[in-house]
Amino acid sequence: MRCTDRLPLVGAFAVIVLIGGAAHAWAQFGPLGGLRPPPATGIAGWLLAQQAYFYRALAAMIRAAKADGTAPWGLLGISFVYGIFHAAGPGHGKAVISSYLLANEETWRRGIALSFASAVLQSLTAIAIVGVAAVLLGATAKLLGDTVRVIEIVSYGLIVLLGARLLWIKGRSFLAALRKVRAPAPAATKHGQEREGHGHDYAQEHAHRHVHNHTPDHIHDHAYDDEEPDVLPWGHAHGPEPQDLAGPQGWRHGLAAIVSVGLRPCSGAIIVLVFALAQGLFWAGIASTFVMGLGTAITVAAAATLAVGARSLAKRLAEKPAGYGSVLLRGLEFGAAGLVLTFGVLLLSGYMASERMGLF
Amino acid sequence: MHFFRLRYVLESLCVVAALTTTGATRDTALAHPHVWATIRSELIYAPDGAVSAVRHSWTFDDMFSAFATTGLPKTNGTFTRQTLQPVAQVNIESLKEYAYFTYAKADGKRLTDPFTDPTGDYWLDYDPKTTVLTLHFTLPFRHPVKAKSLQIEVYDPEFFIDFGFAKQKPATLVGAPPRCSLTTDKPTDANFPAEFFRLDQNLVTSEANIGLGASFANKIMVTCP
Repeated sequence: MRCTDRLPLVGAFAVIVLIGGAAHAWAQFGPLGGLRPPPATGIAGWLLAQQAYFYRALAAMIRAAKADGTAPWGLLGISFVYGIFHAAGPGHGKAVISSYLLANEETWRRGIALSFASAVLQSLTAIAIVGVAAVLLGATAKLLGDTVRVIEIVSYGLIVLLGARLLWIKGRSFLAALRKVRAPAPAATKHGQEREGHGHDYAQEHAHRHVHNHTPDHIHDHAYDDEEPDVLPWGHAHGPEPQDLAGPQGWRHGLAAIVSVGLRPCSGAIIVLVFALAQGLFWAGIASTFVMGLGTAITVAAAATLAVGARSLAKRLAEKPAGYGSVLLRGLEFGAAGLVLTFGVLLLSGYMASERMGLF
Repeated sequence: MHFFRLRYVLESLCVVAALTTTGATRDTALAHPHVWATIRSELIYAPDGAVSAVRHSWTFDDMFSAFATTGLPKTNGTFTRQTLQPVAQVNIESLKEYAYFTYAKADGKRLTDPFTDPTGDYWLDYDPKTTVLTLHFTLPFRHPVKAKSLQIEVYDPEFFIDFGFAKQKPATLVGAPPRCSLTTDKPTDANFPAEFFRLDQNLVTSEANIGLGASFANKIMVTCP
């Protein structure tokens, strides 16, 4: 069988991607405690320096805006660049969104949409917290910190729920694929697929594009481009249809991913907003936060693109009828769903921390 | 197998890029600093020549100071010590979780858990001209240290707070035996650009503490023969 030639390739690929995902999370968040981290060198060190530089520049720009009263274009520019660099550090949902996109069959457009939506939500949450708590209620820093901690718990809890649900769905798909390999169906029809127990969710999420995966004698010779019109920008480009953006699960899962990642605001954004408020420039702080979110979105979207690209490659390497490749692909999805759940649990338990709120 | 199709190439690049960025971030577990603090410390000696406590004065940057004082009422254009006392309390309680960012080595050996919690002897001062807060607190040694050499390091291992020594007199000895000598070590890092300092004249910024081969911490070293 031709698929067995590619079996080790796909297997190695899946293992590498999952280990890479876990290692990324470990590197980003690391163990807490009084350990000395290794020195940040090279690109990582440079990134860190840029983030700190632009963060300090934000404060300087706000002070300058107060001093001369002109429109703070410099502030907006700095905020944008800060958002781009800052999202490269821990947090901002890159790991969760990337794992989610690995686990789900999502188009590139949808991955971008998810990235932007969660970044916008993060900006809105930061503004809402400071706007309501600080402006309206005159809250102290302690209350702001406590509010963020509560929202954090909700956010991480949602990630856990999202991961658990994904794990359940992908687990069933994985088992179904395993069963199929052990007892491959002859000349299967559409009814035949359902009899094999793929379940409603599986059929639903894979829609028309994947029907041919289950019929061994279906022809796979049509051009690759036709199979996935909008998976990647360099594919056969159609205009985005609503069902493309809605994704295989509809808006439910995508919304869950957006909200769970987007709820927790950036600590830096909150500190900047409060600082702007103290200078009497809350409106400038709001503009800065939104523009920062735009920069963040771009970096997260870049991560999302990598995830979608990697997944698309895995899918293509694995697409042979009823072969082990399909099992491995489902296994990859299952593993990625497990990653989402793991991130949620690690974040919730405090073992992984994204950002502190200073001495509060 | 159309492995040389553009699509394959681009998608493979995605995988490579994903693995590379994972590798590139492998060496750092740090978020960038959100707080900058300038350190002035005193080593307090007991009459028998042992070091009994470390007294810190940490001045924070104006952005963090604005955050810390939000929602507090001003009196005569400034914040009084009483107004700031609850904030100081929260700060000290938060610091406990991080071992007060202060580490000690006596005669080359790292002391585990050397300090007890600060007693009520801590407070915040606000300077209305520079709009910055300074936290004053004393860390008593659990067992006063009598050693030929004592090294105190102040740093945040997660680098959320960027500590740096004050330019003038960052460390002093109080009541020390006559022949003790004091040196401080301020590491620098080429990664942080010089323009960094020009942006913000108010703050005595620290040199960053990251970099190849540079020690991470601000060190105070005392040798008493």
